[in-house]
Amino acid sequence: MHSSFTRLQNVFGFFTTVAFVLGAFIAATDLGSARTPSGVIKTDNIQVVKGRPHYYSSKKEEYAIIRFSLEADLSSLFTWNTKQLFVYVTADWTSPGGTNNSAVIWDSIITNPSADHLQNLGPVAMKKLKKSAEGKSIAPERGLLKLKNQKPKYQITHPSGKIAETADVTLKLHYNVQPWVGVLTWNMDKPLGVWNAMRGGVSDLFTLPALKSKDGKGKDTKDKSSTKSKKSKKP
Amino acid sequence: MAEELLDKVRDVVEGQIDFEGQRRAEGYATLLLSLTGLIAFNVGYVLQDIVKCLYVGLGGTLLTFLIIIPPWPFYNKNPVKWLPIGSAFNTGGT
Repeated sequence: MHSSFTRLQNVFGFFTTVAFVLGAFIAATDLGSARTPSGVIKTDNIQVVKGRPHYYSSKKEEYAIIRFSLEADLSSLFTWNTKQLFVYVTADWTSPGGTNNSAVIWDSIITNPSADHLQNLGPVAMKKLKKSAEGKSIAPERGLLKLKNQKPKYQITHPSGKIAETADVTLKLHYNVQPWVGVLTWNMDKPLGVWNAMRGGVSDLFTLPALKSKDGKGKDTKDKSSTKSKKSKKP
Repeated sequence: MAEELLDKVRDVVEGQIDFEGQRRAEGYATLLLSLTGLIAFNVGYVLQDIVKCLYVGLGGTLLTFLIIIPPWPFYNKNPVKWLPIGSAFNTGGT
């Protein structure tokens, strides 16, 4: 500590230690805040059509468009350490051969006010988003989802190219909590401490309908083909 | 004249402090940074606002840097008392 430079080194060195310990403390507070997520999800209109699901599809294949309704309460997932919540819905089924299939049909990023500025939004929408939680550091009410007859973001296909009349499909609600400090956590099947497993969040079993006749399909395939989302669809 | 000025500049940049000052600087740095961490955590937790936690933490760290790094006069209150030149031992030079 005899010269300014060694003092700078020493103080900065200890600062990194303090920052790490502080981060560990912050991450640990998550374990103490109860999580009670719940949701009700059901399918609305389902269509299976044959066409090119994406503009880069090289061949025609069957794809399903599953509209759904979702009412979820994920407000307990918003704490002071929550940066954002990634919510997504998958369609799950087991193939006759025993392979499990799971495909994301819809997703959404819900930010806590502290992360609003990170959203990829235009200036008007950004202003609106920031105003919706003015003066608040946490916005649990954003975890209340009410979707009715929601159009899926992603239509689903199967490597075999056939998906019509698939039986025993369920829709499942998932979430991924992304904290400011700490590890990512997903919805759990079993409770862990004060973190409860998701209540509900799975739809009844349903069967995908038969392939839609040729007459009705032309228009549908065209406007679906360009709706690739900007956001990542990886859960 | 120019040499004197350069010496002064070098002294300021090097920022040497005495032994007692070094002991105190070490202690203050540890204390201030630990306190900063504790206060930042509590402010953030009580107000449930991680942004405030971050700013309190960074502010406290900056304050610590300002207190510790420059060679403030209170780090130089116990200068080493060197023996006057040629006083005790005659090394043969004089």
